[in-house]
Amino acid sequence: MRRRSRTAALVTAAALALPLLHACSNSSGDDTGGKVTLEYWLWDDKQQPAYQACADEFTKANPNITVKISQTAWAQYWQNLTTQLASGSAPDVWTDHASYYPQFVSSNQILDIQPFVDKDKVDLSQYQAGLADLFVKDGKRYGLPKDWDTMALVYNTKFVPDATGLDKLTWNPADGGTFEQAIAKATVDANGKNGLDPAFDKTKVKVYGFLPEWADGSQGQNGWGDLAVSNGFTYLDKNPWGTKYKYDDPKLAETIAWFKHLIDAGYAPKFDKQSTLGRDAVMDAGQAAFTIVGSWTISSYLGTGAKQQYAFAPLPTGPAGRKTAINGLSDAIYAGTKHPEQAWAWVKFLGSAACQDIVGDKAVVFPALKSGADKALAAHKAAGRDVHVFTDEAAAPGGTFFLPITDHGNEISQIVQDSLQGVVLGSAQPADALKKANDQVNALFK
Amino acid sequence: MTRRFSPGKVLAWLVLAAFLALTIAPFYWMIRTAITPVADIYTDSTAIVPSHPTMINFWRVLGLVDPQTAREAGGSGAQINFLRYTLNSIIYCALIAGVQTFCCAMAGYAFARLRFPGRDLVFGIIVAALMVPPIFTLLPNFTLVKTIGAMDTFLGMVAPNLLMTPFAVFFLRQFFLSIPREVEEAAIIDGAGKWGVFWRVIVPMSRGPLITIALTTSVWAWKDFLWPLLVGRGEQTRVLTVALGVFLQQSPNTQPDWTGLMAASTLSVLPVLALLIFLGKRLVQSLNFTGIK
Amino acid sequence: MTMSNTVAVPAATVPDAEKSPGPRRARDDRWVAWLFLAPVLLGFAVFYLYPTVRGVWYSVTDYSLLNTPNFVGADNYSELVSDGQFWNSLKVTAYYVVLNIGSQTVLALGLAALMHRLTGSVVVRATMLLPWLVPNVTVGLLWMWLLDSNLGFVNHLLGMVGVDNRAYLNSPDWAMPSVALINTWAYTGYTALLLYAGMLQIPAHLYESAALDGAGELRMFRRITLPLLRPILALVLVVSLIGSFQIFDTVAVTTKGGPVGATRVIYFYIYQQAFTYFHMGYAAAAAMVLVVILGVLTAVQMRLLRASRSDLT
Repeated sequence: MRRRSRTAALVTAAALALPLLHACSNSSGDDTGGKVTLEYWLWDDKQQPAYQACADEFTKANPNITVKISQTAWAQYWQNLTTQLASGSAPDVWTDHASYYPQFVSSNQILDIQPFVDKDKVDLSQYQAGLADLFVKDGKRYGLPKDWDTMALVYNTKFVPDATGLDKLTWNPADGGTFEQAIAKATVDANGKNGLDPAFDKTKVKVYGFLPEWADGSQGQNGWGDLAVSNGFTYLDKNPWGTKYKYDDPKLAETIAWFKHLIDAGYAPKFDKQSTLGRDAVMDAGQAAFTIVGSWTISSYLGTGAKQQYAFAPLPTGPAGRKTAINGLSDAIYAGTKHPEQAWAWVKFLGSAACQDIVGDKAVVFPALKSGADKALAAHKAAGRDVHVFTDEAAAPGGTFFLPITDHGNEISQIVQDSLQGVVLGSAQPADALKKANDQVNALFK
Repeated sequence: MTRRFSPGKVLAWLVLAAFLALTIAPFYWMIRTAITPVADIYTDSTAIVPSHPTMINFWRVLGLVDPQTAREAGGSGAQINFLRYTLNSIIYCALIAGVQTFCCAMAGYAFARLRFPGRDLVFGIIVAALMVPPIFTLLPNFTLVKTIGAMDTFLGMVAPNLLMTPFAVFFLRQFFLSIPREVEEAAIIDGAGKWGVFWRVIVPMSRGPLITIALTTSVWAWKDFLWPLLVGRGEQTRVLTVALGVFLQQSPNTQPDWTGLMAASTLSVLPVLALLIFLGKRLVQSLNFTGIK
Repeated sequence: MTMSNTVAVPAATVPDAEKSPGPRRARDDRWVAWLFLAPVLLGFAVFYLYPTVRGVWYSVTDYSLLNTPNFVGADNYSELVSDGQFWNSLKVTAYYVVLNIGSQTVLALGLAALMHRLTGSVVVRATMLLPWLVPNVTVGLLWMWLLDSNLGFVNHLLGMVGVDNRAYLNSPDWAMPSVALINTWAYTGYTALLLYAGMLQIPAHLYESAALDGAGELRMFRRITLPLLRPILALVLVVSLIGSFQIFDTVAVTTKGGPVGATRVIYFYIYQQAFTYFHMGYAAAAAMVLVVILGVLTAVQMRLLRASRSDLT
C-alpha cells in the first residue's frame, strides 16, 4: 500500500513533467515553412495593449512573422533580460532604457542597425529632434526611438486656486524667485497659516508646498536635475558617451542648497519624514501642493476617479532659461537573434507612423515620431486633459536637455543618490559631498 | 495532561493572545486594502474600515470583470487565469514537496544512523551549501535548464529543488538523531534490513517532522518567484506568484496596483492556509497515533 | 569501524555492532548508505556543487555576465579589501543579524514553548504561520504602507499618543530596525513551528513526572525542553544565522539599501554588483567572503551547541 502510493507519486511526477518537456521550447522562432515567431519584451503593462495592436497590424502586413509580446514588471525585467543574455539567448527585440543600454552596447549584445537604416533609407529627421542620435556610438546605431517624455510642474488646484502667473514662474538658487513664493503660499500649517505668514509654524505643516524626489539617481530628472540645468549646470563633458562628470559644479551645489533651504523653512518635508510610498501617494492624500513630474504620469494625475483636482504648469525659468529633461526609450535587436531581417522589419514598423500612431491614439506616452505625438496630444485633448505644457516644452528651442548616457550609469546613480540623501539629511554640506561624489564617479572611468 | 487553573497559566494565555493579535494586525491591513476602492486608498489611508468597501479588486484578480472595468478600478486590464495558475502552483509545489521530502528523508537517515567513511565530511559539505548564496547557483542552473530544453516545462521549473535542499537534509537528519535507538534496535533484532528500519520504523515515527518539512517546502515553493519567472513564462507553467507580477510596479517612479496586489496576495494565501490546517490536523493525529507524545 | 565516524554515534550502538564483526558491518552500511544518498547527492552535485565551483572560478575573473571571463588572479579580492561600501555592507548586515536573531529566535522559542505547553490548537498554529504564507514582495509592500510617515497606520497610532510622525524606512537610524521588525513579523511563526515540531518529539512522560515532583513550568523549560531540543535548536540557530546573513527580499522591496547605505546589506550589495553593475566576478568574490564568514560562524555554532548529539539517545 505504502509502496504503491510512492510509485504512484513518481509516475504522476513523470507524467506531468515529460509531455511538457518539449511543449514550447522553441518559442524564439522556428523556420519551418518560412514562418517566424519573434519574441518582443517590454515592462509597462499599460503600454502592452497598444503594442499588441501594433503586432497584430504587423502580422497582417507580414503574414510570415508573428510577434509574441512578453511583459515583466520593471524590477524583474532587467534581471530576467540579463539572465537570458548571459545564458546565450534572449528575446529578438526588447524595449531598452538609457541606464542599461550602454552596458549592452559595450558587451556587444545589441545588433548594429545602421546598415538596415541605410538600406531602407529610414528618415531619421521625422523623430523628435535629437532622439535618434542618442542610440549611436562610434557610427553604429543600436536602436530606433519609440517615445519621449518631458517634465512639468503638477499642482493641486485646491491649494493653488489661482493659476495666474504659474506659466511664468521664475527661479534662482539665491531667493527662489516667484517659484519659491508660490510654494510658500501653498504651504499650510495646522493653524491654517500659509508659509508667507510670519506666524507660520514650520513644525506643524499640514500641506507641504513642494515635494522633492530624493530617490532620483544621478540625474534628478524629477526635480533637482531640471532646476540645476536651468541654473547653468551641465552633467558632463559630452553626451552621450562622455567620460568626465561635473557634479562638483557650484551651480549644482547651489541648487541642492536651495532644496535644503525649502526643507529647513518647512515648505518641503524633511527627508526622514517624507513618505516612502512615492510622491503621487502624498499628492493624492492632499498633503502637498506642487511637485515635478514626467509626462508618463499624466494618466495617474488626470485619470478618471482622481480624488484631487490637478493641473500642469511649465517648469520655472531659471538663470539659464527654462530647461526640461527629455528622455526616450528605444527598441533594440538582440545581436544573437536568429532572425535579424525579420527583427529589423518589426523594429522598423515600431518606429514607423503605422505603429506610433496607434500608440499615440492610446495616449499613454508621447511617441517619438512627430505625427504620433500629435495624435497623443489630440487624444488627450479629446478626453479633456490639458497636457500642452509637455509638448510645448519639447518644442521650445533650447528648452530641453538629454539625460547623460555613459558607461557605469547604474553605479553613478547610486553614488550621487547616496551623496544627495546625505546632504538633505543634514550630514554633509552640498559642495563637499558633491565634490567627493564626483571624484568617485570619475574614478570609475579610469 | 490536565492542569488546574492557575494565574501563571492565565498570564501565559494572555501572552499568547497578544502574540496572535500582533501577528494578525498587519494581515488585517492587507485585507483592508484589498477591499478599498482604488480612488480611496490615499485619502482614506488611516481608517480602520474603508468608507466604501468593495469586492471589485477580488473580482478583477479572478478575471471576472472586463478589461475596461479592471482598468477603471486601477488595474492593467491584463486578464489573469487565476485558476489555471493556481493549479500550476499546486503541481509545482506538490512535485517539489513530495519528491524532495522522500529523497531527503533517505539521506537524513543515512547521515543520522548509518556508518560509512566520509559521512561527516559529506554531511558537512551539504550543510555548507546552505551558505552558498543563490546568486551563484541561479545562472548556471538557468543555463543548464535551457541547454536541456526544459524551459517552460515543469521539469525545468522543479529541477533545482526536486531532489534536495541542504535545509531539508539537515532538518530531517537532526530529527532522526533524536529518535530513541531502542526502537530501531528492536527492528534490527527482528531481522529488518536498513531499508526496513527506515521505511517501517523511522518514517512512521517521524511523521511529524516529515509533514513539517513537506509543508515548509510547499510554502517556499508556493512563494517562489524569481526562478519560476525565469524558467516558466509559458501559460502551461506560469505559477501564481509570477502571474501576480502584473500588480507590481510596472515602471520606475510609478506605484504598484496596491489594491489589486493586496487582493491577489490574500487570495494566494488561502490555498496554502487550507493545506496548513488540513496537514496540521493530520500532524496532530499522526503524533497521537504513534504514541510519541 | 573507524573512530572518526563515531562522532555522532553514541555508545548505544554497541549492541548493534556486536551482532556482526565490525569491519564487515561497516562495509555493508557503506553500500546501503550510498544508495540512500544517491538522489540527494545527484541533486547536490548538479545544482549546488557545480554552480558553486563555477562561482569560485568567477571570483578570480573579470566576468561581467555578458563577456567571456578572463583570469585576473586575486584582483577582485584585493579590491574588496579597500572597498568601503563592502565593509559597510558587512557592518550593517552584522547589525541586522544581531537585531533579527535577538528578536526572532527568542520570540519564536517563547512562542513554541507557549504553544507546546498550552494548546495543540491547529487554529492557533495556522494563525502564527499566516505571515509566513504571504509572498515576500507583498510583505515588504504591506509594511511600507504600515510604516509610512504620511499615510501609515503605525504613525497614525503613535500620533494618537503624541509621537511625532517619522519615515521609518527613510531614516538612517530606524531603517534597519524596521527591516528587522518586518522580517520578525514574517518569520517568527515559521521559526516557532520548527521549534514546536522539535518539542513534540520530547516524550510527554518526562513533563508528567517532573510535574509530579512539583517542578514549575520555567524549571521544566530549562531542565527538559531546552536540553532535549538541542539538535533542533541548533538547526534553527544555524539556519536563522545563515538566513539572516542572506537577507535580501525585504530590503530590495522596502529600502533598496538606503538611506545612504544604511540597509545595504551584503547580499543586496552582491546582487547590485552582479545584476545592476555587471561585475559578476567582483560579486562572486564578495560572495566567497560571505561564505567563509558563514562557514566559520556555523562551525563555531555547531561546536558550541554540540549539534550532532541528542540527549534523548
